[in-house]
Amino acid sequence: MTGRRLLLPLAAALLALPWGVGGYVTYLLTLTFIYALVAIGMNLLTGLAGQISLGHAAFFAIGAYATGLLTQRGLLPFPLALLAAALLSTGIGALAALPALRLRNLYLAIATLGFGTVVQKALFEWRGLTGGGAGLELAPPHIAGLVLNNGRALYYVALAVLALGLWCAGNVARMRTGRAMLMLRDSEIAAGTLGIGIARFRVAAFALSTFYAAIAGGLYAYLVRYINPESFGLGLSISFLGMVVVGGLGSRAGPVLGAVFFVLLPEAFRGIKDAPGLVFGLALVLAMIFLPRGLAGIAPRSWRLT
Amino acid sequence: MSGLAITRLTVRFGGLTAVRDVGFTAAPGRILGLIGPNGAGKSTLLNCISGITRPSAGSIRLDGTELAGLSMHRIAARGIGRVFQHPELVAGFTALDTLRAGCHRDLHYGLLAELFALPAARRQEAAARHRALAALDAIGLAADADRDMALLPYGHRKLVDLARSLMAAPRFLLLDEPVAGLNDAEIDRLADMLRELRDVRGLGIVLVEHNMALVARLCDEVVVLDAGRVIAHDVPQAVLRDRAVMAAYLGEAPADA
Repeated sequence: MTGRRLLLPLAAALLALPWGVGGYVTYLLTLTFIYALVAIGMNLLTGLAGQISLGHAAFFAIGAYATGLLTQRGLLPFPLALLAAALLSTGIGALAALPALRLRNLYLAIATLGFGTVVQKALFEWRGLTGGGAGLELAPPHIAGLVLNNGRALYYVALAVLALGLWCAGNVARMRTGRAMLMLRDSEIAAGTLGIGIARFRVAAFALSTFYAAIAGGLYAYLVRYINPESFGLGLSISFLGMVVVGGLGSRAGPVLGAVFFVLLPEAFRGIKDAPGLVFGLALVLAMIFLPRGLAGIAPRSWRLT
Repeated sequence: MSGLAITRLTVRFGGLTAVRDVGFTAAPGRILGLIGPNGAGKSTLLNCISGITRPSAGSIRLDGTELAGLSMHRIAARGIGRVFQHPELVAGFTALDTLRAGCHRDLHYGLLAELFALPAARRQEAAARHRALAALDAIGLAADADRDMALLPYGHRKLVDLARSLMAAPRFLLLDEPVAGLNDAEIDRLADMLRELRDVRGLGIVLVEHNMALVARLCDEVVVLDAGRVIAHDVPQAVLRDRAVMAAYLGEAPADA
């Protein structure tokens, strides 16, 4: 219940924050929300269903490019483009990953790594659509006639989507699909003999996580307003996985804490001359040694999903 | 055609034949004991019926419908329940979660209803929770509802595991050494539960068991496997007196049959 009592002041603080901090901090917080969304989806896949992906930067990228292109070419308004891009990414993910879903653990991780590389390469080469290595520049998006031309507007959009994403993931985790995914993770034969379709729920976990990644990608496109295939490499996929693990696999607050760790901590170390990467890397190692259950391990019990 | 009919079932793992030409029929409302020395193929046979292992040849029919070759969850959906020798734990699951997982096939809401916790999903979840609590109460473990499964005494865990497989309302139940690791009081309780399932619910039960005293007092018939073959199939009193059966157990006399 500690978690519940913290929620209201936390929400108030998050709503007020953009008015008290500068544009750059607002940008960083928005980026944190966006990464947290990816991590929430990854948590369903990795924390609950026990599958590892090293290719989620690709779904993030498809979400970013599809949202950008759909709105830029006037095909769909921003909110619908976001949804359409996410559905597209999920569809591609399901198709590409269907054969891979017969694989497990490290094998799936390597297959998704290959998928991520292919998508990044395709974004480079398909210049007519994506602009290739020159990247894609985007004008500010509109929502219902309102131009979101300042950082605050997108901050609130991202915060709202994050809140919705957290709530939905929490619902899944404590209902039928969540239980099925946890059973798959710990005992496939127990799951199967209870009537849980193994392939079906493995696909569901993967599809849900790609949907989250693509929505986040669409928001990211309009946060940075310039996207380039370079931004969606293996390093980003590994960071997404890192956020879930550092945050605490299978916990509700974990993905958000992990995103905070990956976005804000390096910023805090920027002042350290020559060595911000070194200090961040060290912090990562120490976090894993001293918090084996992740950052959420120090959060109240009521915040945990399982 | 009624019952669980196994015909000429063979399972090979590479060069090893674990089950060879096995045939018998388990009937509803009866408890069939499956005994034999370690390595006789008992668990492999149960795994075949559950769809965990694919048979190399032969058939497994439930009321005339072929089960061999179907995936695990489809076999479960046709009414075959399974209880493993050691309860398969899910990290973080309480006893209540475990039983709710057993209700999986009774929950029919879609993913969207789940994501947004729509009334249909809430209603069905509430019903599942109610059923799970009632089942815990029925096995006398209502107090364990919110305890982590990993922290429950082993005997309680096995009872919860059995109750979980019953949540899906199977017509046949396959049990692999259900009383191993239980004390005498717990064995009596489990035996009573199995009898009630047989007599009241009319469940067919296939029981792999090493405890001969339990086999003698609980089973209606006994199939003896040795090196993958059926070497005897009779009422327990006859089987436990059979010389070939005792020889298969390497001359060990059954403890207190």
